[in-house]
Amino acid sequence: MYMSENLEQSFVAQLQANQNIIHKICRLYTAGEDAHKDLFQEITIQLWKAYPKFRGDSKFSTWTYRVALNTAITLYRKTKRTVSTVEYESHQHFIKDVDYNYEEEEQIKLMYKAVYQLNDIEKALVFMYLEDKDYQEIAETLGISEVNARVKMNRIKGKLKKILNP
Amino acid sequence: MKELDLLKKDWKKNSDSFQQISETEIYKMIHKKSSSIVKWILIISILEVSFWTFSNLFINTDDLLKKMNHPEIVLALEFLTYFNYIVVMIFVIIFYKNYKTISTTVATKSLMSAILRTRKTVQYYVWYNLGMIVITTILSYFIAFVYNPDMNFLREKLALDGKAMFFTVGILILIILGLFGIFWCIYRLIYGTLLRRLYANYKELKKIDI
Repeated sequence: MYMSENLEQSFVAQLQANQNIIHKICRLYTAGEDAHKDLFQEITIQLWKAYPKFRGDSKFSTWTYRVALNTAITLYRKTKRTVSTVEYESHQHFIKDVDYNYEEEEQIKLMYKAVYQLNDIEKALVFMYLEDKDYQEIAETLGISEVNARVKMNRIKGKLKKILNP
Repeated sequence: MKELDLLKKDWKKNSDSFQQISETEIYKMIHKKSSSIVKWILIISILEVSFWTFSNLFINTDDLLKKMNHPEIVLALEFLTYFNYIVVMIFVIIFYKNYKTISTTVATKSLMSAILRTRKTVQYYVWYNLGMIVITTILSYFIAFVYNPDMNFLREKLALDGKAMFFTVGILILIILGLFGIFWCIYRLIYGTLLRRLYANYKELKKIDI
């Protein structure tokens, strides 16, 4: 009896401490506060479901990356695959106009927009990259080979460049 | 890629700008699945009560009862109807209480016992309804035969002929079995599905409860 309460308590405490990982994933995969909350909740439920199998041979945060990203990818697939291309088109002329002379902030905004156009797996890779993970960790978390991760990342860079400079 | 590095810089800067979620909220999140199932049980039971109330408005038995000219039967039927409403309302209140408990419970252990309690309540509710269907069928059959003046000729025949009596009772049993079967299936489909899901949650919780 105490065991279960302890397990739950330790889960909740660790999740609370590591919640920014989930928030960041939500930021990449959702737009809007409600969608963010929904995804956060879904990831929390999936983590809790998987928690009995978490043996503690990896860090809680590493394990969270894996389960949370997988949840986001699966959910993203179930819902709309196509990201609003209309929105992208409407910004196209804008990108051309400002070309290379825009300020940093503007550039960052455009980058975010570009990342939103990527597909579920690509987003996951970008996320890991932004989190400063090396290719070995990226590969492990996403369940692909290290070489594959490198190849994919290079392709993503190309794709992002294309989106930024069509 | 220079844009990507720029993004990374910004990403890091904003990595702890999120509104933090409290432990209590996390507890609520991981218990949400059970509470939404119990919410459905509550909603469906209320819909069911409204359905019966509504259909009672359209099935008019007043004329028939008047023709029989036995006020004590009318009284008894009214009593039965109100008794039934009271019992069903008590069930709905218990469902509501279960829902409240489950959606606010924080500890696994009490959540598990709340789930078991809810399952029990639903099972009692279904058995009560099925029992009520059998009782009402027998009663209306009985009333129709004994008190309905239109049935006089049949009664006389039944008194003389043992075979006809046997036949009539046979039909009654068939009707009861038929109605019982139909409603049993409906309840099994609706509440059974919800209870199975609830039980799956219970088992999940139990796995954690070593």
